[in-house]
Amino acid sequence: MNKIKALINSLVAGLFATLTLLSISASANITVLAWPGGPAEEALRKVVDHYNKTSDSKAELLYFSRDNFFDKMLADVAAGSKDFDVMLTATYSLGKYAPFMTPINDMVNEEVLSTFSQGAIDTQTYQGTVYGLPTDLSLHFLYYREDLINELLSNSSWQATYAKISAEYLGKEMKPKAAEDWNWDDFIASALFFTRSINPDSPVPYGTVLQMKNLLFNIMIWQGTAASYGGDWRDADGNITIDSDAYRRGLKIYKDLFDAEATPADSLSYEYAEANAAFGSGKVAFYTQWSAAYADFIKPGEYPAIEGNFTITNQPAGDMGPKTHFHSLGLGINANSDKQDEARAFLSFLGTNEAMSMFLKEGGQPPVTDPIMNAHAGDRLDMLMMAEHTAKYGKVMNGGTEGGAFAIYANMAENFTAYWAGDMDVDTAIVNVTKFLEAEFAK
Amino acid sequence: MIVKEKGASKNSIEALRWLLFIVIALIINLPIIATILTSFKTTADINSSPPIFFFSPTLSNYIEVLFKGNTNLLKYILNSTIIAGGGSILAIFLSFPAAFAMVRHGIGSSWLLPLVTNIRALPLIIYAIPLYLMFQLVGLLDSWLGMILVTATISIPVALVLFVGFIQDIPIEMDEAGRLDGASQRVILWKLIFPMSRPIVIAVFLLSFITSWNEFLFGLILTTKNATPVTIGATFFVTTYGVKWGATAAAMTLSVLPPVILGLFAYPYIGKSMLSGAVKG
Amino acid sequence: MSLNPQTERQQAKKFLYGLCIFLAFMLGFPSLANLWFSFNDVTFHNLTGEGFAGFENYRKALGNPKLWEALGYSLRFGLVATIFEVGIALFMVFTLHPLLLRKPWLTAVLMLPIMVSPALMGIMYRLILNEFTGIIPGYLNLLGFHVTLMSRSMIQYTVIAIEVLQWTPFAFIILLTARQSLPYELEEAAAIDGAMGLKYSLRIVLPLISPAIYIVTFIRFIDSFRVFDHIFVLTGGGPGSRTTSISIYIYKLFFQRSELGESVALSFVLLVVSLTLLYFGLKLVVRKEQS
Repeated sequence: MNKIKALINSLVAGLFATLTLLSISASANITVLAWPGGPAEEALRKVVDHYNKTSDSKAELLYFSRDNFFDKMLADVAAGSKDFDVMLTATYSLGKYAPFMTPINDMVNEEVLSTFSQGAIDTQTYQGTVYGLPTDLSLHFLYYREDLINELLSNSSWQATYAKISAEYLGKEMKPKAAEDWNWDDFIASALFFTRSINPDSPVPYGTVLQMKNLLFNIMIWQGTAASYGGDWRDADGNITIDSDAYRRGLKIYKDLFDAEATPADSLSYEYAEANAAFGSGKVAFYTQWSAAYADFIKPGEYPAIEGNFTITNQPAGDMGPKTHFHSLGLGINANSDKQDEARAFLSFLGTNEAMSMFLKEGGQPPVTDPIMNAHAGDRLDMLMMAEHTAKYGKVMNGGTEGGAFAIYANMAENFTAYWAGDMDVDTAIVNVTKFLEAEFAK
Repeated sequence: MIVKEKGASKNSIEALRWLLFIVIALIINLPIIATILTSFKTTADINSSPPIFFFSPTLSNYIEVLFKGNTNLLKYILNSTIIAGGGSILAIFLSFPAAFAMVRHGIGSSWLLPLVTNIRALPLIIYAIPLYLMFQLVGLLDSWLGMILVTATISIPVALVLFVGFIQDIPIEMDEAGRLDGASQRVILWKLIFPMSRPIVIAVFLLSFITSWNEFLFGLILTTKNATPVTIGATFFVTTYGVKWGATAAAMTLSVLPPVILGLFAYPYIGKSMLSGAVKG
Repeated sequence: MSLNPQTERQQAKKFLYGLCIFLAFMLGFPSLANLWFSFNDVTFHNLTGEGFAGFENYRKALGNPKLWEALGYSLRFGLVATIFEVGIALFMVFTLHPLLLRKPWLTAVLMLPIMVSPALMGIMYRLILNEFTGIIPGYLNLLGFHVTLMSRSMIQYTVIAIEVLQWTPFAFIILLTARQSLPYELEEAAAIDGAMGLKYSLRIVLPLISPAIYIVTFIRFIDSFRVFDHIFVLTGGGPGSRTTSISIYIYKLFFQRSELGESVALSFVLLVVSLTLLYFGLKLVVRKEQS
């Protein structure tokens, strides 16, 4: 009996100790609210671990669910929450959160500028005030199966089928091109070719996978289509230009592919994770996706179906060449926080060459200066292409950084996905979005 | 007791029943089974298409989810335990005396009881928003206490109905015995009736605990990181790990383990108590 | 010597205080708060309101066609799910009752789905319904069926199916209990008359457990009407607003579009309507039971 009592006692003591450890957070520790998912998250964890080894004030990471991340963050900061000291910033949401964040213009010193280019800092600047340090530059690539495309370029019987399909669906016989030279017609033709329900000899079930879930981030991916035809939210005079040829063509690309079943029928529920699963399991020939996925796919042993057989390039071109939406995610300071000094210390650390080099090596995609890039990017194609693509193809929509940008993307997501799902015709969708933009920018 | 079925087809009917049971049990439990299996698969196995059915199991997902770095699964489980347990206990201590008063003296049985049972039927979102704003004003957001108050509120309707039903069946003679000794109502309540009600109190605790543990909406809205219950915490893993279904599956298996195990004890009570409570209420 | 019944009554009254105060704080206050907020112009930047807004919030809330879409969706969802749940549960009761009488612990296995949080159940389905790595399409493909269960045509059926698969056990256990509490003599009498099997079930058992059927239908309809969790994690209310239930609609109104006044006004309207419907609904159920 005594032994049991002793055991129970030590268990209780142990439980107490654990509980105490769990609940005590030293008063100077800070919480960092960051973006969940993918290699960037893992890389940030490593950087934070390193910081905690060398700093008195510990940093702890916090994540919200991806789906309602920004909603929750807004509700919390508006309620004066002190639950996080360092918080996520994004180019398209700076205007919205600016009232709740601490400006950090004074932190942009020589060290920071040797880590990030001025252009990168600008993506975290709203109306002259810097609100965050850019930790991730996000843009979109065309991910494709090299083995399949190479085969297509050299196999004459495949090319015959390709010509037949393109004639039937696009009205003209086409020849396959190298992926980096594609325009959207090539994209469509190739997607049709690689879809088994259209071409029974296709080595994969689907040509592409489109992310069509009612989610604002999916609109950012899709925007490349409209932008490549010259589409924009507004023109130089501030008129809303959604009702344009460019937008209609862009919307039609997705709709046609979906109706032709060149993308899985479940695409209407797909976003980042599902699309990656589709491509990573070898069932899809190519797709457009966030740059962040690359670092995940190159992990050895995790995606055996595509290992060594895929690569990335720019999105297909429209009349204005290829275009890609881009933005940066960053970390800034919650104005409500009681630990402004500790938060600043953490950000200072992030702005050092050392921190960002580590972040880069571990899988993140920081918009760092050339010296760091050259030293550490290794064979990370996504990093090597990042600066060039942003410079050549990057497009920020006119108004895309204003306070209402967020709600605008959400509204587009609701209307455009309804159109793709067949619940709404394209004119109604465009009218709805135009009205919403007018109301937003009139505020 | 069952009347013996006549006829030579008895065995085949029996076999059919078993078959039907197995089929139904498999279909409704498919997601749970699949999730548990997935939690033991390696990432490469999970990413294979079509899904493989035979694989060598690994514990790597559990190790990752429980012990690696900043994954707070243990804290979420702790939160859920405190919130569900605290809420259930609070609900019991608020409802039991009230049920006694309603049954023995008819106090509040005409207005409070129907009101409380009606609460159960309202879409919770109706309260979520004003509670969010209220909690923000008094600083109860993202706190154990705040969530306990919420889970207690959700558990009260069922607790009250079940207690009323049970106490109704306790013969008044029990009270009489106490009264003869000059006991006040309070003494009768706690020293006589409450101990006698152990089965129903346990049943209520189990049911409330399970329901509170599985609460999602209020956990989503009213917590950020400190008091986040495991139902919300598990959804972080879905998106946090992107395509890492293995870790997600491990997190989810751990999250549903407590209510499922408790449920194995609680299931007899659900039917009996729901029915009698509803019929009498 | 026993105490004065009046004194006892006084003592017992106090037993209600705790509960009443608690509910006044947790439910009464928010209801009033809803009322107050709904008449003001509240934004996230100014939570105490920027001025009296009269009936503006109500007008906006009720005038929004998307609200009626969501209400219609919730009604349809509730109706279809409940009919299936009760129907399947009845079928299960009649066929499995003898087996479960002999081996009651088997019931526990059938109860497992309702022990799982609906939100987590939704995520589990997201896993197994994935066209490429999920086991349901995997198995079905082996059998020759090529299904996509989250496509635009199937998604509505899928979310209902998930609800039915999770909550039929709830209806089942209540109906089973009702069935099992029927007196033994009934079975004997029926056996003597040779009225076994289907005839027995339909003609005799069914009417006897009909009060339980009404109650279960009522409870399940209410619960399905308020559905939020599994749809939210699976589709987010989409595509477009195809699977947006009334709870998801209000949530999005508040958290995504930051229409505080409108969402609060709507909440209050729903509160009043639900209470009214409940009042009459309960009366109906009680009357049926008594007849």
